[in-house]
Amino acid sequence: MLTAIEWNALGLSLQVSLVAVAASLPFAIAVGYRLARGQSPLLWLLDTLSSLPLILPPVVTGYLLLVLFGRNGPLGAFLEQTLGVRVAFTWLGAALAAAVVGFPLMVRAIRLSFESNDRRLEVAARSLGAGRLSTFLTISLPLASRGIVAGSVLAFARGLGEFGATIMVAGNIPGQTQTIPLAIYSMAERPQGMEQTWRLVALCVLLACAAVIASRLLERRSHA
Amino acid sequence: MLDVIAGVLRPDSGRVVLDGETLTDAEGGIHVPLHKRRIGVVFQDLLLFPHLSVAGNLNYPRRWGRRVNSPITFDKVVDVLELTALLSRTPHSLSGGERQRVALGRALLSGPRLLVLDEPLAALDEPLKSRILTYLDRVVHEWEIPVVFVSHSQAEVRRFAAWCAVLDKGSIIAEGTPGKALGTLGALSLQDDAAPANLLRLDNVSCTQGACVGMVGKQVVRLPGLPQNASGPVYVQFPPESVLLSRDDVPNISARNHLRGTVVHLVEQGAAVFVGIDVGQIIWAEVTPGAVRDLSIAVGNPITCLIKAHSLRVLE
Repeated sequence: MLTAIEWNALGLSLQVSLVAVAASLPFAIAVGYRLARGQSPLLWLLDTLSSLPLILPPVVTGYLLLVLFGRNGPLGAFLEQTLGVRVAFTWLGAALAAAVVGFPLMVRAIRLSFESNDRRLEVAARSLGAGRLSTFLTISLPLASRGIVAGSVLAFARGLGEFGATIMVAGNIPGQTQTIPLAIYSMAERPQGMEQTWRLVALCVLLACAAVIASRLLERRSHA
Repeated sequence: MLDVIAGVLRPDSGRVVLDGETLTDAEGGIHVPLHKRRIGVVFQDLLLFPHLSVAGNLNYPRRWGRRVNSPITFDKVVDVLELTALLSRTPHSLSGGERQRVALGRALLSGPRLLVLDEPLAALDEPLKSRILTYLDRVVHEWEIPVVFVSHSQAEVRRFAAWCAVLDKGSIIAEGTPGKALGTLGALSLQDDAAPANLLRLDNVSCTQGACVGMVGKQVVRLPGLPQNASGPVYVQFPPESVLLSRDDVPNISARNHLRGTVVHLVEQGAAVFVGIDVGQIIWAEVTPGAVRDLSIAVGNPITCLIKAHSLRVLE
């Protein structure tokens, strides 16, 4: 049904998006909680910074990431020297791009569900002997689970579709960094490529549907 | 004030001391964090955790090492508050009274040194109120935990409290036993529509051939009926306007209850005068200023209160 290149693109897309969501989730929860509950006057700065990838053209986000994480960039050079890890033009770069671009969606959903929590429940938990961290883990977090799930699914879907930032940071190397959108782009550029591309296009539609259905199911389960 | 006792709020001034331990001292900069106070709070909105079952809610304090060395065990609490059938339910599916009991049980299972109840009966209807009060009686009797009980209802306070402080706009305007503290506050308590102004405690109640009686001191009160299996004292409510006053005893009258007492308060309120009479307990009667003049009702004078048996409402 699918060619080797197409299978590769599918596997890579899923891997990149999953890793991106898993790695950015703790940060998104931390930022979402801060934005919902913090009282610092500098919160607007955090709010702006974490929303920025939503507004910026993905190519610009990718350019900035490349400047930071390229082999000669400050973070890229640091990671390569200390951990021996290369980010730019590897699948990790694609995951980084997907994580950054999906981050605002995740934060938004998580923040909203923290905001809709009844804070008196946390007071009740503390009066029953739970410390601040315990209260967060046993009360605030479970009560925000719907927002966390919804945000993760959104970010996952956004990661699957990532194009602009990915091509800047990770390039378009078949089998290594060529995710589905990049594969579609490469194929469509070739003569008669349009006819071959439909399978990947259909795959994208299928994945999007699956993500929506999964989020509905998860939502229902955490609601019950 | 409850939030200050529980440690939710830090007051600008004042102290909270429990068992000789200073929990809050605004001037001294002491503030024990609320999860270390061991004060069990039943909040007005109960705040059961919606994502946990009833059993999960009850067991919540144990996760944090509470109720170590506490005589309050899970089984005992479930038993006393009759929660067995509810354990696997979610808070969402419980009725108001059931939720109340679960919240009370959860607070108890945190091994508290003090229970704080914020208007625990406000949201309940009358029969449920008295059932919950019965549960509270059991709890106090079983574990002898001191309870701070906040209420707007004088009837509840008289029924439950041994000592009360009356708060008006944040400051204490009277304190003492409920009978005394509330009895001396005629004008204020009569403004309170929600509360029946008259609540009498009757001892030695009994029924013979459908005629029920109880005692206020040495005077007999005839009742319209008694709750089934009534034991111990019974409380009756009646509004001040249902009390007739007479300077002399009136032998031939249909009102069956004649309580002799002494006038102790006279409070004018709008077009009415409220007369406080000490018959062993304080009764308030609402009369017109003309009646006060014609009967020369004055503090210190003896007087007879006439109350129809059917205007008495017996609390279950």
